[in-house]
Amino acid sequence: MSYIHVKDLEKRFIVREKRKKGAFFREKKMINALQDVSFDIEHGELLGYIGPNGAGKSTTVKILSGILTPDGGEVTVGGLVPWKERKEHVRRIGVVFGQRTQLWWDVPVRDSYDLLKDIYRIPGEEYTARLKELTEALQLDELLRTPLRQLSLGQRMRAELCGSLLHRPELLFLDEPTIGLDAVSKLALRDFLKWENSRYGTTILLTTHDMEDIVALCSRVMVLGHGRKLFDGTLHDLLGRYDTVRTVTVRYEEADAWPELPDNAPAVCDGENLVITYSPAEYPTAEMIARLQGAGTIRELTVQPRNIDRLVADMYREMDL
Amino acid sequence: METIRLYLHSMRMLIRSQMQYPASFFMQTLAQLVMEGGEMMAVILLVDRFERLNRWEAGDLFFFFGLMSVTFYLTECFGRGITGNFPHLIRTGQLDTFLIRPRGTLTQVLCSAVDPRRITCIAVGIAALVMGCNMSHVLWTVPKVFLMAEAIACGFFLLLGLFTIEGIFCIYAVKSVELVNALTYGGRSACEYPVDTYPRPLRALFTVLVPFALTMQQPGSVILDKPLFDWPAWTAFVSPLSGVALFGLIWLWFRKTMQYYRSAGS
Repeated sequence: MSYIHVKDLEKRFIVREKRKKGAFFREKKMINALQDVSFDIEHGELLGYIGPNGAGKSTTVKILSGILTPDGGEVTVGGLVPWKERKEHVRRIGVVFGQRTQLWWDVPVRDSYDLLKDIYRIPGEEYTARLKELTEALQLDELLRTPLRQLSLGQRMRAELCGSLLHRPELLFLDEPTIGLDAVSKLALRDFLKWENSRYGTTILLTTHDMEDIVALCSRVMVLGHGRKLFDGTLHDLLGRYDTVRTVTVRYEEADAWPELPDNAPAVCDGENLVITYSPAEYPTAEMIARLQGAGTIRELTVQPRNIDRLVADMYREMDL
Repeated sequence: METIRLYLHSMRMLIRSQMQYPASFFMQTLAQLVMEGGEMMAVILLVDRFERLNRWEAGDLFFFFGLMSVTFYLTECFGRGITGNFPHLIRTGQLDTFLIRPRGTLTQVLCSAVDPRRITCIAVGIAALVMGCNMSHVLWTVPKVFLMAEAIACGFFLLLGLFTIEGIFCIYAVKSVELVNALTYGGRSACEYPVDTYPRPLRALFTVLVPFALTMQQPGSVILDKPLFDWPAWTAFVSPLSGVALFGLIWLWFRKTMQYYRSAGS
């Protein structure tokens, strides 16, 4: 059986609505947070989990990490049922919540780690070695003596990540780890995750809204919407279906050059540049370039696919999310 | 053993982090002294005016007040994780952090907070106890010392249990329920005085339902050689266990309720 096995997972929440006028009790509404979600994950996979807000991503992660008890379906992680054998299970996993700190606020980071050592019962030598390795990889050396509250968001995320990996978990959950980080921090974080994954074969499940995370890290993507699994496959396959528009920006040596274009490829002047949008399915890119070349001497030319966030937005819209 | 080490380690760290704000710490400790001193003042005035309450003399009243204060504030100090922000932990979903670690929930909640500011309240309680013992001429024997320790320990668990109920309600309602305060803070205020001075319904409430009388006052009265309800002295060794038993039941209830935990946030 695969490492993580999820079958027909179900979770419902009861939401009490505002009391209507004249009614004595508030009406209750059942919300299906997860319905019939099934998937399998093997050891060492790096998997991205996307979907709009409220799709059930965090709920899945919370069930897989043993925090919530589902209302139906079966889940095993490495042969254990997370919410039934909680203590055994969580010994082998690490979880990072992007918006919730797990370290102690007012003490130096190093003190938090020492306490985690006791909580996870990590042997002394192993702890020292692992801490050294992680502080180097995450460049935490100078931060260890600083209280957590004085760290910047990026520094704090690195510190959190180190804390959740001290006990060498075989499975790591990351809930929006790059939220609010600057470009440098994001890149460093991604590099680190790739390193951890290839070095130790740590299975990583990542929920995110940042498509760049997925592009950079994940070989496999799952899309969740309204509590159902809508897609499971490679990012390439997913985007192939929605990647239908290209933008060409071209600049000619001659000021008055104007290519002859088909009707379904409108051109707009933007200063010295000419911006053309077209669909490669209707009009092959090679033919488009040939036409552009025919109109004059090209000084500069770029062809761009649509912004990936737009693609995802289109996808959500089509899936009616 | 290992759990105790973890608890001590956590305490060291929490106290160090509170000392990051020393001015605030000392001000609040002082404020606690004024507050609890005020409570004690009430007993002093009562004794001054009436000298006795039924069969209880001034010394006895100080003794019961001191016993309750010491127990209550020891609980607030070392059980802060439950008496303080337990509902908050549940409401904000911070409890998640504990659930993803390989330790018991109770252990971790207890390890999550300590309130050393209560030290002044405990000191007031001890002063009242010493005063009461002197005035009532208590003759200390080994069994009495044991009874005293048992009463305080069992009272500690009883109070933890009562505070846990608020947490349980929070899981269902995701909001704290003030009703429970009637049992915890109300219970403390009421049971600073011997229960047999109250009318029957209140006496029943604090003996049977919320057994402050059984856990603390029954052994206390035996120490004073004036057994409550005229029960035989040996019952005082058994009755405090009701507090621990109630705690056990409430904690089982909590564990059962955890499957409805919704983990707010994110």
